[in-house]
Amino acid sequence: MIERLTPPGVPAPRGPYSPAVRAGDFIFVAGQLAVDPETNQYVAGDIQHETRVTLNNIKRILEGAGACVADVVRVGVFLADGSEFARMNEVYAEFFGNDKPARTTIVCKFAADIRVEIDCVAYSPKK
Amino acid sequence: MLERISPEGAPKPLGPYSPVVRAGDFIYLAGQGPLDAATNRLLEADIEAETRLTLTNIRTILKGLGLGLRDVVRVGVFLRDGADFAKMNEVYAEFFGNDKPARTTIVCSFSQPIRVEIDCVAYQPAR
Repeated sequence: MIERLTPPGVPAPRGPYSPAVRAGDFIFVAGQLAVDPETNQYVAGDIQHETRVTLNNIKRILEGAGACVADVVRVGVFLADGSEFARMNEVYAEFFGNDKPARTTIVCKFAADIRVEIDCVAYSPKK
Repeated sequence: MLERISPEGAPKPLGPYSPVVRAGDFIYLAGQGPLDAATNRLLEADIEAETRLTLTNIRTILKGLGLGLRDVVRVGVFLRDGADFAKMNEVYAEFFGNDKPARTTIVCSFSQPIRVEIDCVAYQPAR
């Protein structure tokens, strides 16, 4: 079964997508940005601030989908500026601790004026 | 079980990749572009036409596997120009309707003169 999820307290989608989709034992989280879930506005800041807000949105979505950060198996990190890699990693490492997912990071552009986008896949077998 | 599939009617791969790989209950589609399956030529057009052809190719591939767009759980959208985001979304929304997958969109460059590339993961649980 496929469940398309819009958990409460997460940023409203900025396009025709679901924040998360559960398919069997896996949860696919849409690319998240540094958006304040209260106001749905971008919270522009330095890379560490944007990374933290973005990862907190991912955490809220995972929790709303019945999973947690330790369940994440694969992450995509998209940066506007490659020179921010190390500082992004510092915040990212705080967030995932020892439960480090497989990850791919690239430098690209975005349709909005942001520094980072992050998506992930989590494994959360249904009891 | 892992199965590499070249469905009939799908555009020929433009490199050393399988158009489709099935792994357990999940189906991975390779990135598709605005390639005319009849002529195997790229359409160079506006973003709406390129998005429509790309998603039509994805729908054709899924159909060959007994699937539809409603079975798609995760989508990656790659755009050449971030200014095309809103117009891409209009066509995209027509195709997916209410069955919106999780999605990540980035802006990047391509090795071909195209405006959009789209890949996806679909879910087809064993019957």
